[in-house]
Amino acid sequence: MTRMTRLLRYSAVLSVFAWVAAAVLVLLPSSAGSAVAADSEAQSQTKTLTRDYFDASGSPVTKTNKVTVHIDRHTDIQANERVHITWSGAHPTGGRTTNPFGAGGMEQEYPVMIMECRGDTDTVTPQTCWTDTSEERTQSSLADPAADDAVWLDDKGNGDADNQRISGLTDAEADAIPDGDCTFGKTLAAHITPFQAADGKISYGCSDNDMPPEAAQTSSTPPNEIEAFTDAHGNGSDDFEVRTATENASLGCSATVQCSIVVVPIEGISCTSPAQQQCNLTGNYQAGQLNDGLGADLTVSPKLWWSPSNWDNRFVFPLQLALPPSVCALSTTAGSPVAFYGSELLSQAALQWTPAYCLNKSRFNWQDNVTSDDAGFQLMQNGGAVAAEVSGRGADDADVGYAPTAVTGWGIAFEIDKPDGTQLMSLKLDARLLAKLLTESYPGSTLGASRPGLANNPYSINLDPEFQELNPGLDVRHFSEAASTLLAISNSSAVMQQVTSYIAADPEAMEWIDGKPDPWGMKVNPAYKGLKLPVTTWPLKDGWYPKESGSACLNDNPAPYLQKIASPLSSLRLISQAMFYYWPNVSTVCQFNSSTGLYELSRVPQQGIGSRFMLGLVDLGDAARYDLPVAALQAEPGHYVGANAAGMAAAVELATPAPTAAIDADKLSTKAKKQAEKQAQAAAGLLPETLDQTAFRSSGSAYPGAMVVYTAAKTTGLDKTTAARVAQFIRVSSTEGQVPGRGNGQLPDGYLPITKTGATARLYAQAQAVASVIAAQKVPQEPAASNPSASGSATASTSASASPSAVASGDTSGAAPPGSGSAPAPAAVGTAAPAAGGSVDTSSAPLVRTAAITSGLGGGLLPLLLIVGLFSGAVALGGRVWLHLKGAR
Amino acid sequence: MTVLTLQRAPRARQEIRPGAPEETMAIASSATLIIALVCGWMLVQLLVLGGITQQRSQHLLYAEFRSQLAQATAPTGELDYNQKPIAPGSPVALLSIPKLGLQQVVVDGTASGDLMAGPGHLRSTPMPGQAGVSVVMGRASTYGAPFRELPDLVKGDHITVQNATGTVDYVVDDVRGAGDPIPAAPSGATAGRLTLVTARGSGFLSALRPGAAIYVDASTDKATSTGVVAAAVPTSEQVMGRDTAALPLLVLLLAALAGLVLAVSVARRHVRAVLVWTCAAPVAVALAWGVTDQVIRLLPNLM
Repeated sequence: MTRMTRLLRYSAVLSVFAWVAAAVLVLLPSSAGSAVAADSEAQSQTKTLTRDYFDASGSPVTKTNKVTVHIDRHTDIQANERVHITWSGAHPTGGRTTNPFGAGGMEQEYPVMIMECRGDTDTVTPQTCWTDTSEERTQSSLADPAADDAVWLDDKGNGDADNQRISGLTDAEADAIPDGDCTFGKTLAAHITPFQAADGKISYGCSDNDMPPEAAQTSSTPPNEIEAFTDAHGNGSDDFEVRTATENASLGCSATVQCSIVVVPIEGISCTSPAQQQCNLTGNYQAGQLNDGLGADLTVSPKLWWSPSNWDNRFVFPLQLALPPSVCALSTTAGSPVAFYGSELLSQAALQWTPAYCLNKSRFNWQDNVTSDDAGFQLMQNGGAVAAEVSGRGADDADVGYAPTAVTGWGIAFEIDKPDGTQLMSLKLDARLLAKLLTESYPGSTLGASRPGLANNPYSINLDPEFQELNPGLDVRHFSEAASTLLAISNSSAVMQQVTSYIAADPEAMEWIDGKPDPWGMKVNPAYKGLKLPVTTWPLKDGWYPKESGSACLNDNPAPYLQKIASPLSSLRLISQAMFYYWPNVSTVCQFNSSTGLYELSRVPQQGIGSRFMLGLVDLGDAARYDLPVAALQAEPGHYVGANAAGMAAAVELATPAPTAAIDADKLSTKAKKQAEKQAQAAAGLLPETLDQTAFRSSGSAYPGAMVVYTAAKTTGLDKTTAARVAQFIRVSSTEGQVPGRGNGQLPDGYLPITKTGATARLYAQAQAVASVIAAQKVPQEPAASNPSASGSATASTSASASPSAVASGDTSGAAPPGSGSAPAPAAVGTAAPAAGGSVDTSSAPLVRTAAITSGLGGGLLPLLLIVGLFSGAVALGGRVWLHLKGAR
Repeated sequence: MTVLTLQRAPRARQEIRPGAPEETMAIASSATLIIALVCGWMLVQLLVLGGITQQRSQHLLYAEFRSQLAQATAPTGELDYNQKPIAPGSPVALLSIPKLGLQQVVVDGTASGDLMAGPGHLRSTPMPGQAGVSVVMGRASTYGAPFRELPDLVKGDHITVQNATGTVDYVVDDVRGAGDPIPAAPSGATAGRLTLVTARGSGFLSALRPGAAIYVDASTDKATSTGVVAAAVPTSEQVMGRDTAALPLLVLLLAALAGLVLAVSVARRHVRAVLVWTCAAPVAVALAWGVTDQVIRLLPNLM
């Protein structure tokens, strides 16, 4: 055989082999692989306050102010709740400081001092009033009467004890002073106001070393006592935050320990003689003049709030605190807590509802835990939680019923001061402005304006002509970083889904995000251009680092600048807290930390009252609790609707019920088809209603931020006790829990009551229906709902008949592992019998039959191999033998 | 006297002339020999060698599952104790059917490749032994054919499953094929059903022709609690699914085999045949084994 022949032969063999392989591959066509979800509550008091002093010529003068103080609520006060206090007729304040809280407001003249004190009208004393620093409690000056520095010794109302050089302490207290503390030289006079804690411990407060432990927390929790500003007309207002024993154990206010809000309008010390030069002063500053650091006259400053001239003018408003959240944990009769997990929107209602459950023997210890909607829903599916509180449908919910529990929503809270220093109480916003804030398109400062693409944008929202058109009369000259962003949530949230749906429903806003400039030339931040909405987690897409910041600190500490302005927080509660402390979360302050030796970026300081500008995304329950004003949002173009009862009712009226699932009717008889339709309707009645933003956009009166919170629980598989409890909760929360009020079990402000008649009638009916279904624990017969599952997954089916290639048996429980976020699981194929029943009722329900799944390859391959192999082997053998006989081998 | 030894002269070999019918016959016989070898190898692999592979896999899986049970780290759901998805092919349960003398470790995943090691658990259902409907698939004729005798089960037979949480005893309800009614879903917090899926053939050489899926349902009312379940499985893990993910590796192995053939043909010109084949034979066997394994993955998983 020649070499050529041999080569040819081998290549022939090779090619045969290749053909065999190709044939094998051709026989198996590749298929696309598929990739493996609130008496009257308000109170008013009026007093006539006088100050007797001597003018420059020595004649006596009596200054009179008839002051009326009004608070908007005083019962069932929850922790951190803000009480709105207004007054009129007071003496105008001079030397206004930007931070009037705690020691920051001490250098003002004639402010109104508001404090939280232990005791009621007859038992409050300066010793039980909380102040954050020793400066507010102890005053010392030269004792020389000629200089008259120790002005408090001149007070007309002083008793004998108050005229001592060192005054303010009883003998027992004076004896018990720790060594080295509260020592004042002979030349000094001092007045000490010790603080008596709830447990009886005395803190002398002579220096900051001897203050109660909570006083050291000014860095993280700002003080709540305030020296508030009164304008030239004698009017003023304040939102006072009430703290309970949980926040301030030394003060110790609780449902059982009486506390009050004490309002002391500072009139000034009444003097006894014209020779008392310092006492008779009337103030350095004009009414409304800003503080320039030159010091206030002591006689009219809040430093002497405890002096009889001021203290006797006090207005005391006793508070009745609500039961704390821990009352259920501490109760021995309540039983172990039954936890529902989910939406943060329900938190404020839960605060008032929880004691009505755990303290009632015929109910159970209901506990509401906050998680994201998805996590709560999965917990409920897995059996880890009894029920979930969600605002929309979850994944694979064929056996879940949704009962409407609360109508509330989200809003944009604002703390904005007008140029005259008073607080703005109404604001209008539209979707494009929200888009501008969220997409970090306002640079915030010249540093931010150096970002490519933002050079022509207004530095903050108050400089934006679109904003100015909607809200005239605000500051149009100063920009700030806090005014260039909306404080939002960083986590995945149903609220964010709704906010972005609101933006997505506005074509102008979406065009602007896609890159079209607004009528004044402002363009979207290039990092956010073309962003697809809605989303459940707002992405922080701007990773631009400023290159030349001009600051050594910033150069050493590079950070994406606009993200540091946005700085979202992880929960709505934290946003509300930042709002009521007027403390933006902007983290662009660069400082040198001497203890670590590093430059660090930290949070900007609190905004001063009179020059605030802050916007935050909050839920309406928190906004009502903390007295945060909420902006009116644009519904129909040109119509701005506020978050009030009328707006929410109009929004709820526009909700559409869940659509009935389609039925594949060709394999069913008429009777079975009717049955299937009835089942589909019953199934749709368990599902949440849809609040469509495009529907809101065509309404002139619907508030776009309305949302409904549903209690989601399984309709099958729960044990009797649990099912009964969930049903009880749904019934109680939809009736007793919807009575507006501030008491136990009532519905707080910020929620629209669900009533039998009116806009929420359908929700009420659904709640009762779902409660019955859950109590019965029967599955209403339903065909599998159609699912937007991933392409290629051949398991979705919309008919009651057998599904091909699906797992051909009863319900498959499919809770996705957390973090999968993939297509929802295929819904269960309808079963032939109710789950609770034991017998199969084949006469009325459609029978499900096993699908025929065959494989030609499986049936034919092995015999084929056998036959082909034998045949080829025979041919090969025969060939070889023939060649051998022919002599070729 | 000289003895004449008569030796037959070696028969002269005739050169095969190009064009002659001998050449055609030579090529044809070589080609058909190759085909016969391939078919024969595949049959042997599927029916015999595959069984050996499966037995070895079961042995190793049993040891692994035993130690996991002892340390309480056996998976109770699709996520392990570190909240990470468990790998397909890890043991999840021990299945025994006394009537058939069957004891197999059930692995996670039901793609064709997974079922080469033993019966597999469909990942979108609860683990065997847990409440709800759990599906286990197994091969009927190849790779040890653990589920070959499944159609012999009748109502009332016992199946025992040992999973991470406990031992559960099932009683067979029915054996159903196409057109038979599906039983009702299990009701109750501890009710569970185990559905064993395999294939069955009919007619001539039925043992080698598993073409139609059949199901065996067994139920219990003492199931353990359900763990995490996967959301959806790709078509390759459904009943009679094929795994096209095997193609890339198959192509690689075929290329290696082709390269081997080339190398052998080149070497034979310079070295003696015996030496060449001594070196090449094990490599050829290994590559052929690998190729066949990949090809099996392209075939239906219940074969």
